[in-house]
Amino acid sequence: MSSEPLLSVRGVHRRFRTGPTVVHALNGVSFDVAAGSMVALVGRSGSGKTTLLNVIGGLDRPDAGTVHVDGTDVTALDEDGLSRLRREKVSYVFQSFGLIPVLSAAENVAAPLRMARVAPTERERRVELLLELIGLADHARQRPAELSGGQQQRVAIARALAASPQLLLADEPTGQLDAETGLSVMALLRGIVESEGVTVLVSTHDAVMMALADRVIRIHDGHLDEQAAGQPYAPVPDAG
Amino acid sequence: MNRWLTRRWPALHWPSIRGRGRTDAGALLLTATVIAAVALLAGAAPALLRAAADNAVQDTVRRAGNDSNVLVHANWERDDGPTGGRVRMPSLAEELDNFRARATNALGPDLDAALLPPVAAVDGPILSITGGNVPRTFQFTYLAGDLGGPDVTWVAGSPPGSAVSDQYVETPYDGPPWPVQVGLSEADAAALDLGPGARIPVRDGQGRDKDVRISGIYRPADSADPAWRLAPALLRPVPGADGVGTTRFAGLLSRESLPDARLAVDEDQLRRTVHFAPVPDALTWDATAALASQVVKLKATSGSSSDREQSLKWESQLDTALRDARARNSAASTQAAVLLAGVLTATVLVLLLAADLLVRRRTPVLSAARQRGAALPDLGAELIIESTVVSLSAAAVGLALARAVAPGVSWTWSVPVVLAGAVAGPAFGTLAAARASRDRRQPANPAARRWLRATGQLRRAAVEAAVLIAAVAAFVTLHQRGLLPVASDGDTGELTGDLILPISALALGALVGALVLLRLLPLGARFALRQALRSRRPLAVFSAAQAATTAGRALPLLVLVSTTALASFALILGATVTRGLTDGAWSTVGADARLDVGGDAEAATPALAERIAAAPGVEQVVVAQVTDSARVFTESTLLTPRLVIVDTAAFRRLLATTPLPDAPALARLTAPGPGPGEVPALVRSTDGDLRTGTRLQLPRDDAPAIRLAAVGTAPAIAGTNDVVIVDAAALADAGLPAVPNTVWVTGPGAGRAVSNTGVASDVVLRADVLRAQRVAPLTAGLVRLAWTAAAVLLALGLLGLTLAAAAGASERWQTLTRLRTLGLRPRDARWVAAGELLPPVVVTAVCGPLLGALLARLTLGPLDLRLLTGQAVDPAAVLPWWLLGLVSVALLATAATVVPVESALRRRDRLSEVLRAGE
Repeated sequence: MSSEPLLSVRGVHRRFRTGPTVVHALNGVSFDVAAGSMVALVGRSGSGKTTLLNVIGGLDRPDAGTVHVDGTDVTALDEDGLSRLRREKVSYVFQSFGLIPVLSAAENVAAPLRMARVAPTERERRVELLLELIGLADHARQRPAELSGGQQQRVAIARALAASPQLLLADEPTGQLDAETGLSVMALLRGIVESEGVTVLVSTHDAVMMALADRVIRIHDGHLDEQAAGQPYAPVPDAG
Repeated sequence: MNRWLTRRWPALHWPSIRGRGRTDAGALLLTATVIAAVALLAGAAPALLRAAADNAVQDTVRRAGNDSNVLVHANWERDDGPTGGRVRMPSLAEELDNFRARATNALGPDLDAALLPPVAAVDGPILSITGGNVPRTFQFTYLAGDLGGPDVTWVAGSPPGSAVSDQYVETPYDGPPWPVQVGLSEADAAALDLGPGARIPVRDGQGRDKDVRISGIYRPADSADPAWRLAPALLRPVPGADGVGTTRFAGLLSRESLPDARLAVDEDQLRRTVHFAPVPDALTWDATAALASQVVKLKATSGSSSDREQSLKWESQLDTALRDARARNSAASTQAAVLLAGVLTATVLVLLLAADLLVRRRTPVLSAARQRGAALPDLGAELIIESTVVSLSAAAVGLALARAVAPGVSWTWSVPVVLAGAVAGPAFGTLAAARASRDRRQPANPAARRWLRATGQLRRAAVEAAVLIAAVAAFVTLHQRGLLPVASDGDTGELTGDLILPISALALGALVGALVLLRLLPLGARFALRQALRSRRPLAVFSAAQAATTAGRALPLLVLVSTTALASFALILGATVTRGLTDGAWSTVGADARLDVGGDAEAATPALAERIAAAPGVEQVVVAQVTDSARVFTESTLLTPRLVIVDTAAFRRLLATTPLPDAPALARLTAPGPGPGEVPALVRSTDGDLRTGTRLQLPRDDAPAIRLAAVGTAPAIAGTNDVVIVDAAALADAGLPAVPNTVWVTGPGAGRAVSNTGVASDVVLRADVLRAQRVAPLTAGLVRLAWTAAAVLLALGLLGLTLAAAAGASERWQTLTRLRTLGLRPRDARWVAAGELLPPVVVTAVCGPLLGALLARLTLGPLDLRLLTGQAVDPAAVLPWWLLGLVSVALLATAATVVPVESALRRRDRLSEVLRAGE
């Protein structure tokens, strides 16, 4: 694990206006994440977890504050810069998998590599490696509809890892999975941190899964409340 | 307690109903607009056609002219005297009045109301006026209506009087000419240079002089009196009535001189006829069946012409004219029904698509309501109240507008549209709410997932099979039964239940075509995806993947293909009718101009043809003897085809200068007959009585019948089903020289050449026929409906394309946003969106018009378009390629507009918001 922070969030504010009401989703959030660590982000539904992940990944822009990923100021990038960031440094795993239904598992995993115009031979090698890593080498030619929910999420994780990102943002990756499958997915993420050296920031509300994280950050009404690494919180109801 | 007794009424939450209505006011307004527009079209079209039907009946009868008159003949009572001579019958006029009254009483109330008061006419034979340099003829005529003859003022002399004062006179058969007094019009008297008291020097066909004296000179009180039309020579001399260079004069008989006219000519030479002219404006579609039936009954009761009794002998073409008008109207009604069925089918599909879009927008709200505990019946009831109010209000507006623009309104065609508008939204919405409370997880068991897929595929296959079976049944019925209703007295002109299936054939055919494409498009998209996966271009892969993902969506493709195919069909129908009118005019006239020479002037036809041929701008002139309802015997039956005796070589040359199809079989008519003494003939008949190889006999007076042998098929001739064509020279060699009565003329100067020929003839110009056909009420109405239906269907197709794009936009941009999280650039996302939207549009732009053309080929035959175009045979489909191309271009242009517009609208959404919406 490197001692340099891969991710640095400083004084991030994000407000949403709904009619006359202004909601402070993020209120001066600041924290660092060291490279090669797995950080769990927990909080109630509406506490700002997803907003924070979106701001970090450049899917949303903060009203104030900065986000640096591997030294790059995400908040200062234009659309093309953000696209490049997502191709090279940051990738996502969503609750709803988001696979392309007509492509096989292998072709889904290869999608970011195609985007990065990786040579076919190298692409196939990388896909094969990732499918081995997630334990779905035998399901390479199957389409998402032919896979179970857990298998689909594994493919989504493999796709997120395909372009060798430095930071993987996972928003409730086990939200649509049963507990056992969810645990296996989280274990996979943990294994990836160990084997690939990827930094993972994952939002979750499962106490068992929090236990797999190096560090847990609790977010509450837009404020952070950090807890020591490896110390599970009590389960958080209504987490989303 | 019984379950029904404990069931509660749905609990409606009115604020939710109002809130949803306000939120989705735009979508609801769009649905209402579609329903109102189609209700307007479907409500007005049948009423306008019905009004056109009345006009068409009146137009047909007007065009038929004197042919539509009802004529009644009866022989006179014999005038044999006791001493072997002929007895003068002083009460002959009263007997004529009785004859007229008997005929009127026999009409029946319906027919009586549709006809003008009768005029009885008594005509003498055509006599020659002697002593002049120019051939002149003379005929005496007596006219008597209910109030006497047409009013005249005697400007000189006196009305014709009786030749004798005695009540009883008997004259020998071989006695001197019996004197008869007549009145002359001022014009006739001036032309003859004769005055009261003068004798007109006339003699009959046997050279016997007649004693016709002028009693006075009269001036008609009203020369437009319909009675004068029966004998126009009573008003002024008529040139050419009895041949080239001849002029016919006429003398008016009175009640007193009528008995003398009888004795002045042979016993059977004085003909009496009662003429009933129809009142076109009094004729309506509803009355036509009863009127035609009554005319047929009267004709059936006629005694034979050789009967010496005084029974009434009826003669009229009114029933034929009315039957033709009914057939044309029935054809137009069913053709319109086919178009309307297509429009309604497309509208229902578009409404389903609109409901799908509306429910996609509402799914979060409905899901939330369901998760809060709202019962499905309650949600369904709320949705159905909203959709029913919208649909009924929109239909009411559409029908009110229809009532304002049309003389009536038909609401039955609007029912499917209102039902679709009222039911689709609630059904989709309730299903969406039901899904919200169901476990949405994918089964972990692969077998369960396969079972789910197989169930869905089986359900879809069952629906497709049902549509296919219905379409096959519809097409079989269409071709076996046709579209015209079974003619009967009780036929009200309304579409009957047995016509529903064949009328639906077009719409069902379009659906089947769309379903086939729906099966093929995913295969094509997957093929394209496989090709793209081999390429190094990521955009190609993602575009193809998106296209393959959405290629199986049924409603958008069904809407696009159906509307485009049906719009193309409507354009083809319009173009076919428009071209058919041109061809029909050629077929009806047979040339640029046709002269139908009057019976009395037939002898002058060859000389007339020579004169016309010498006129400038005339290319071809052909004379022929055309006899309608000629008596021809086969081995087993008597037929009455149209017999055309023509110089076949000249006829072929004429055909070569016209768009009429060439008839190479005509060459066989100049070859020797297949058997000794047989004259070769070409034949055509609809029921197969006349076919190649048939032996025919053409009877002659006082001579053996001429034997004809059918050696080929005659070219189709408009206005008749059964035709026999014989070469004039061959028939003359067999002993029957032709007496031409028809002249066909082609060339730019044809119209001018046939005008003012100086011969009594009917001139028929192709340009006039075409003009009249184009403005004929039914034809013009159908063409307008075809163009309108095409425009409405195209508009529905473009609306469907926009709705389909809007309905899929959320999912599409979800996927594109996910691709953007993988690094896809915004401008690349637009290309991927275009890649998803364009394939079904391109497929539709190519296959839709082709499907329309295929449907036209399959359905135009049974539509009986020839009844409206006047063509001899059903027209082949005319493909207006540039119009069909415009349909395709409109679709592609709309799709090309949708992508950047959608992209611009979505650009404002942050990626995070799009992803949140999809969770």
